[in-house]
Amino acid sequence: MSSDTRPATPMSRQIAEHRSLLDRALGLPKFILVVLSVALIGFVICQILIGYLVVSGQLDGKWYDVRDFGNAMVSLTDAINRSQMDSRIVSTLTYLIPALLGATGIVSVVGGWLLIGPWAERRLLAKFQIRQGPNRTGPFGLLQSLADALKLMQKEIIIPRGADRFLYFVPPIAVFIPAILGWAPIPWSPKMSYADLDVGVLFVIAISSLGVLAVFMAGWASNNHYSLLGAMRTIAMMISYEIPISVSLLAVVLLTGSTKLSEIVMWQSEQGVWLIMLIPFAALAFLFASTAEINRTPNDIGEAESEIVAGFYTEYSGMKAGLFMAVELGNAILVGALMSTFFLGGYTFFGLETWIPGYLILATKIGLVYFLFVWIRATLPRFRLDQLMGFAWKFLIPVSIVLMFLTAIESSILVRWDVPSFLSLGLIALVNITAAVGLTFVWMRVLFRDNDLSAPPTPILTRKMGGLQAAKVLRG
Amino acid sequence: MDSPGIVIAFYMMAGLVLGSGTLVFLARNLLHALAFLVISFLSMAGLFLTLSADFIAMAQILIYAGSISVLMVFAVMLTPLASRDNGNTIYVLPGLLAAGGIATFVGFLALDTSWSGPATDFTTTIDLIGNLLLGKYVLAFEIASVLLLFALVGAIMLVQTSSSDHEEGEGG
Amino acid sequence: MTTSTEPYVLNIGPQHPSTHGVFRLRVVMDGEKIKDLDMIVGYLHRSMEKLAEERTFTQNIPFTDRADYLAAMTGNLGLAIAVERLAGVEVPERAEYLRVIFSELQRIASHAMANGTLISDAGAWQTPLLYMFREREKILDLFEMTCGARLTTNYMRIGGVAFDPPLEFWPALQELVDELPDRIDEYHELLVSNEVFLARTRGVGVISPEDAINASLTGPALRGSGIPWDLRKADPYSVYDRMDFDVVVGKSGDVYDRFMVRMSELYQSVKIIKQAISQIPSGAHKTDIPLALRPDEGEIYSRIESPRGEIGFFLVSDGGPSPYRFHLRAPSLINLSLLNELGRDAALSDAIVTLGSLDIVVGEIDR
Repeated sequence: MSSDTRPATPMSRQIAEHRSLLDRALGLPKFILVVLSVALIGFVICQILIGYLVVSGQLDGKWYDVRDFGNAMVSLTDAINRSQMDSRIVSTLTYLIPALLGATGIVSVVGGWLLIGPWAERRLLAKFQIRQGPNRTGPFGLLQSLADALKLMQKEIIIPRGADRFLYFVPPIAVFIPAILGWAPIPWSPKMSYADLDVGVLFVIAISSLGVLAVFMAGWASNNHYSLLGAMRTIAMMISYEIPISVSLLAVVLLTGSTKLSEIVMWQSEQGVWLIMLIPFAALAFLFASTAEINRTPNDIGEAESEIVAGFYTEYSGMKAGLFMAVELGNAILVGALMSTFFLGGYTFFGLETWIPGYLILATKIGLVYFLFVWIRATLPRFRLDQLMGFAWKFLIPVSIVLMFLTAIESSILVRWDVPSFLSLGLIALVNITAAVGLTFVWMRVLFRDNDLSAPPTPILTRKMGGLQAAKVLRG
Repeated sequence: MDSPGIVIAFYMMAGLVLGSGTLVFLARNLLHALAFLVISFLSMAGLFLTLSADFIAMAQILIYAGSISVLMVFAVMLTPLASRDNGNTIYVLPGLLAAGGIATFVGFLALDTSWSGPATDFTTTIDLIGNLLLGKYVLAFEIASVLLLFALVGAIMLVQTSSSDHEEGEGG
Repeated sequence: MTTSTEPYVLNIGPQHPSTHGVFRLRVVMDGEKIKDLDMIVGYLHRSMEKLAEERTFTQNIPFTDRADYLAAMTGNLGLAIAVERLAGVEVPERAEYLRVIFSELQRIASHAMANGTLISDAGAWQTPLLYMFREREKILDLFEMTCGARLTTNYMRIGGVAFDPPLEFWPALQELVDELPDRIDEYHELLVSNEVFLARTRGVGVISPEDAINASLTGPALRGSGIPWDLRKADPYSVYDRMDFDVVVGKSGDVYDRFMVRMSELYQSVKIIKQAISQIPSGAHKTDIPLALRPDEGEIYSRIESPRGEIGFFLVSDGGPSPYRFHLRAPSLINLSLLNELGRDAALSDAIVTLGSLDIVVGEIDR
């Protein structure tokens, strides 16, 4: 038999000879592997050295941590202040230079992710679906997103007849603005955030409400019923899920006592606890509501591919559609960054941030949350619109509000009485978790008491054929 | 307020507010007017920021640009197609007269008041506003929230009575 | 303040990401509810039935490949059985067993695809679909091993099958049949308790037994509504009367029941294949017939159970080498007739899921 020597058909031969990504990466030319590993080890050693210098206090003054770019900014602005230039130029430069450099930083983070993100997501989705993702364009398919972007850029822009000119061109840009603006208050390191607003939390909520209008304009201006239907669905979903986001962030503000994002991260690092351990329901509500805000599965009814093609961006072609897809991706990591900052401790990791730069820790957390998003996308089918709305209004909002009241009571106790923090935080966590679990069960039971969510009946096996009479006999 | 950055920002924002405000009533299409109105809301928020009123600026974006414009969008969607023209109506002349009157009145008021000096350095306002709202002005705060509750319940009641006439509502 | 809504017309298709083929649905919607549903078919019409009148019976077998392109083996088998009944051709034992094996393999592949596309219509981003494609790929590999083609197999001949499967076919088949029940259990577990899937499919698109019979439904759509009617037992052809298997019947006729009927039929197909492997004799794989078979004058309507329902062939012969009239009763077309009533007053998402559960192939609707 030849079956035990070689697989029989060409396709099964191809499958048998396929090697995993790791195998192929390790099969690269030795020279490249050596260079890469030397670079990696060197990087790690440098970080540890600097960390040692920091921890042993040998780097005093402003340069206590050279890996925090915020320190470089502070030195730069001090140098400008001390120089003998006209005071107007000095004040302009002290605002302008950090602003420009920070903006470049944010754009490069988002832009870099838009280059690698689609590749990572598609390969990860493929891994879930027992297939390979893009692996032909460039080594390991890394140039796939670039190829897609170039392809989209050179496509013909087809403007539907009757489309509103002004309202058609604005949405791709307008929907990108919140995706970039939201990065402003996020702290990457103790001194490194673009605009550490005192009202950072309110800024985040305000920015997330700006996306709604762009979606509507896109759907309306396309002069197409599909698009309008998709846009209306999306808008209804987005404005409904803004409320659980706000209530969850309110719980965060109550516990940490500040709306400034860097102070929230500092609170988590000082108390030695992540907010997801203290208010888990708020964290999960924030995560779920954010998937609704950014139109990702399981809440992407607005662009349900199998039903209404692409929803509100059906009529967009070329880079305009590309911008919409890019924004979905950009929003996903923005939500990852926000989730990490609010609930997962931001750039801190129980003291590790003195050894490893904070932005690396934050980047890892963003990657983890993004992996969670892709995992959910690969696994769950999408919810129907009325199911989504029911879930938001009947379950998420009431339960979030009740648990937020509970958090308010707990935080005022924490402030008023000086209980040792370990005890009080443990108590808070315990009370919150039990309250969340208990309330969820009770509420679900009350809400769905007429729904039959029991296991469905298994089909009947029979050997007698027949028509209606036989059917009646079978059913008993 | 002598930093050139703030001065430039002020003039940019003021220009945007005035420009988009003008375009609101000059636009032919009602939805274009809405878009310009949103731009003027956002620029107002920018003006608030130049006065270091950060909470008010964020509230402006969140409430006006985020929610009220969506409300206006839905209101426009409910109007029949024919009355979505933003062009000449009989209300142009009375509107201009009323606007002129209000502008003159407010201008006199603004020139006549003795304003306190601008904030020299940036202080965070959210703590102060929060303390005031829940301290000295708690009655006004509570009345406002009760008013909003009435509006919410009233809207739901209006929808309820109309949907009891025909079949169960949409979705499904 | 009643909001007066105007119904509007939505066109779904003919180019559509839903993997049903070129098929157009004209939907009159009022908000999110459908008021009227109109199906416009004909985009894939290739005038198969007219062209068949110019070709001999054997040359018509590839047409049946392309009619129901997701169940080519059963289409071929239907035409082969019809001509054999018309012309009185005997089929050797080995060929009959081979026919049964390949029909059941095709049934597994087709049901896997139908269920997978149903779930991806419900929005699951093709992950369950690709899991089911694992097994389908192995089955298609077996087909390629035997007759050279994965999809349009053209394998059955009048009087037998075209080729005897090569030696490497049998171990591969045995391996597949051994691991299939576990794999089907895997899919079963993945989906049966998934609440999102249950919420999307239970109670949706309910067809009562009376409606099913009045609309001439056949196949899993009929069995999902509770009527125990399967042509392999009711009107046995080939060697199905020697096979020991059950017929799966649903309880309430909703989308979930049709899905479960297809899922359970996979187990039954594996059972049939195992019995066929153990019973298959050696011998010829087809009888010799003349190149241009001239059956006697007459007509016949012969039907078999394809994965979609009852596929029937009406052949009229005038004594010549080609049929005088060749008609294919497409189960998908007849199953579709209920979509109008099912879609009334449902949400668009529910209508799409119901359409997916009826498992249509546009190739045989339009021929």
